[in-house]
Amino acid sequence: MIQVANLSKSYGTVQAVKNISFEINEGEIFGLLGPNGAGKSTTLSMLSSMLKCDKGIISIDGIKLNGNARKFKTLIGVVPQEISLYEELSAYENLLFWGKLYGIVVADLKKKIDETLKLIGLYERRKDLVKTYSGGMKRRINIAAALLHNPKVLLLDEPTVGIDPQSRNLIFEIIESLNKQGMTIVYTTHYMEEVERLCDRIAIVDNGEIIAQGTKNQLQELVPNTEEVQIEFETFTNSQFENLKSAISTQMSKDSNTVHIHAGVKELPVIISTCNSLSVKIKDIQLRKVNLEMIFLHLTGKQLRD
Amino acid sequence: MIKTILLKDLKLYFSDRKGILLTFLLPIILITLFAFSFGGVGRKKRVPKPTTLLVVDKDSSQASINFIHKVHSLPMMNLKQMTEEKALDKVKKGKNVGVLLFNKGFQEAVMNGSPIPVELQFDAAREIQTRMLLSVVQESMQRAFGKTQVNSNLQVKTTPVIKLTDNKPNPGLVQAVSGTAIMMLLFSIAAIGGSLLDEKEAGTLKRLLSSPIKPLHILFGKMSTAMIISVLQLAGMFVFAWLAFGLPIFMDTLTLALLILCISFAVSSFGIFLVSVVKTRQQLQGMSSIIIILMSAIGGSMIPIYMMPDFIKKVAVFSVNYWGIEGFFDIFWRQLTVVDILPKMGILIGMGLLMTLLSVPLFKRNIISLD
Ligand SMILES: Nc1ncnc2c1ncn2[C@@H]1O[C@H](COP(=O)(O)OP(=O)(O)O)[C@@H](O)[C@H]1O
Ligand SMILES: [Mg+2]
Repeated sequence: MIQVANLSKSYGTVQAVKNISFEINEGEIFGLLGPNGAGKSTTLSMLSSMLKCDKGIISIDGIKLNGNARKFKTLIGVVPQEISLYEELSAYENLLFWGKLYGIVVADLKKKIDETLKLIGLYERRKDLVKTYSGGMKRRINIAAALLHNPKVLLLDEPTVGIDPQSRNLIFEIIESLNKQGMTIVYTTHYMEEVERLCDRIAIVDNGEIIAQGTKNQLQELVPNTEEVQIEFETFTNSQFENLKSAISTQMSKDSNTVHIHAGVKELPVIISTCNSLSVKIKDIQLRKVNLEMIFLHLTGKQLRD
Repeated sequence: MIKTILLKDLKLYFSDRKGILLTFLLPIILITLFAFSFGGVGRKKRVPKPTTLLVVDKDSSQASINFIHKVHSLPMMNLKQMTEEKALDKVKKGKNVGVLLFNKGFQEAVMNGSPIPVELQFDAAREIQTRMLLSVVQESMQRAFGKTQVNSNLQVKTTPVIKLTDNKPNPGLVQAVSGTAIMMLLFSIAAIGGSLLDEKEAGTLKRLLSSPIKPLHILFGKMSTAMIISVLQLAGMFVFAWLAFGLPIFMDTLTLALLILCISFAVSSFGIFLVSVVKTRQQLQGMSSIIIILMSAIGGSMIPIYMMPDFIKKVAVFSVNYWGIEGFFDIFWRQLTVVDILPKMGILIGMGLLMTLLSVPLFKRNIISLD
């Protein structure tokens, strides 16, 4: 449905997006996972034709973005990373304003607003000023404002930043129900649990580049072992880490006093005895299934969240 | 689309009590202060430079021609001779302070030694300048006549062309209202322009840009908001001046309304121009205060323009304040017709168009690029 080919964008000397290509299928939830500054927002801004790309091609259903920006904008709903609402207006007034910008007939728009307010569970509070809302409620109105013109594609830029787990779950349910009704969704985040729960396919971005993409299973295959041993030591110096690395030849990384080793249960006895022979004191051992965070670590050598 | 944006902006504007306070209450306080203190304006002892004097020679005798030539050759005087009609028109339109008339019978009076029929007609709003002029005229006449004539016959008769009468407002009041109203207007318009930068920072600009509206509609929506607020503010100030000080605002309501519209247009485009030049709120705050205070100072919002030195009068024409204040003086003091004031309105609209045209590319580059 959406094709992106060789997309690039620089701000002055900062190259925010470097030659990325991906494809989004109709009806799927596509995730863009990456740390802060990876270029996710920049990519979404270009997809929604708010920002001109330096180079590359974006098309929806075969229509190229160039010269069709206004048509694109009616096909796409954008949920910006910031709460992009007028705090001094009520939720209802906000939605009415944003809806009118799409030229929707007012009677239809009002019906759609009521429907959307019910979907996000804020119908009762519709007349309250947005500034009186909690963070989670604002986030939900922020999403609602992008739905009024029935977009085919919804772009969500970190829609759960700074809210409690309960509100986050509510937002997930809203997204899932929209997706069930056939809406294609592009979801960016730096929380790997979110893409794991929601997304059919995922692109991992770092430094403006896509370093891996595919379904969750496809991504897991990139890591040789499907499990990870995580050992926390009392103290763990860099030289001890080097010794451990040369003693056990599987891939591992260090994170203060903790070491992450790509290995399974079978390798556990060997690892423990090696640690003992190097006389580093073990505080805690955990065996974990591989998740996207480990894949990110594996691919970039750094944590998703710094 | 502009209307949708405009209505939203107005709603936002009036939800902000501080904004309303700034728009209406503060100027009212200032106008009141100035209206009271301007009473003393004319009595201050200031010595401005002698002004060029218009001269009408109605006697056209050998004596009057010789005499005018003699006075003109004195270093302190610069005479400009023209018809009575033309000269009085210049005084009425505020271009000159007064006109010196050599009435019929000048030659006879000089020969007979009877009182000399010389008359100074002047604009009573410009009292100090007139007094100055009068003393220079008397002194130069004495010099021109030399010691051969009797000094007591050299009393110059004075007649005001524009009189301080009951049906005319106090010029100090006109100055206080128009000067203050325009200056305060500039501040509130800069604030409305600034809300565009707030939208950029808050992210609502992003959402506006993600909708299918034309980006320039965002700019013109703000400009329309500014325009409506300024019409309200200016009208409000004049209504206040009417209620509190009896300024006769219904004397020529149509012209007053037109002038208010022209000033509002010029000022709103100034607002969007200002906001298109800067990148952040802080930059706007710093820049707008300096520009507004400067423009108000040279444009006659703080000190009446006729009290300013010549070089400031020359740059004053680049300010919106100057044309607005002069326009209000034309209406209330000089009581000119709408046709006489049209050129000033034209200049205000021209200034507005120029600033609007300049804002468009700047807005595209600085505001909506999101870079
Ligand atoms: N308006 C801007 N001007 C300059 N640099 C920017 C701007 N927006 C983003 N950047 C830079 O581009 C890079 C990518 O930013 P962004 O797309 O916001 O990343 P993300 O959304 O993944 O956190 C970062 O290095 C950021 O500092
Ligand atoms: Mg971002």
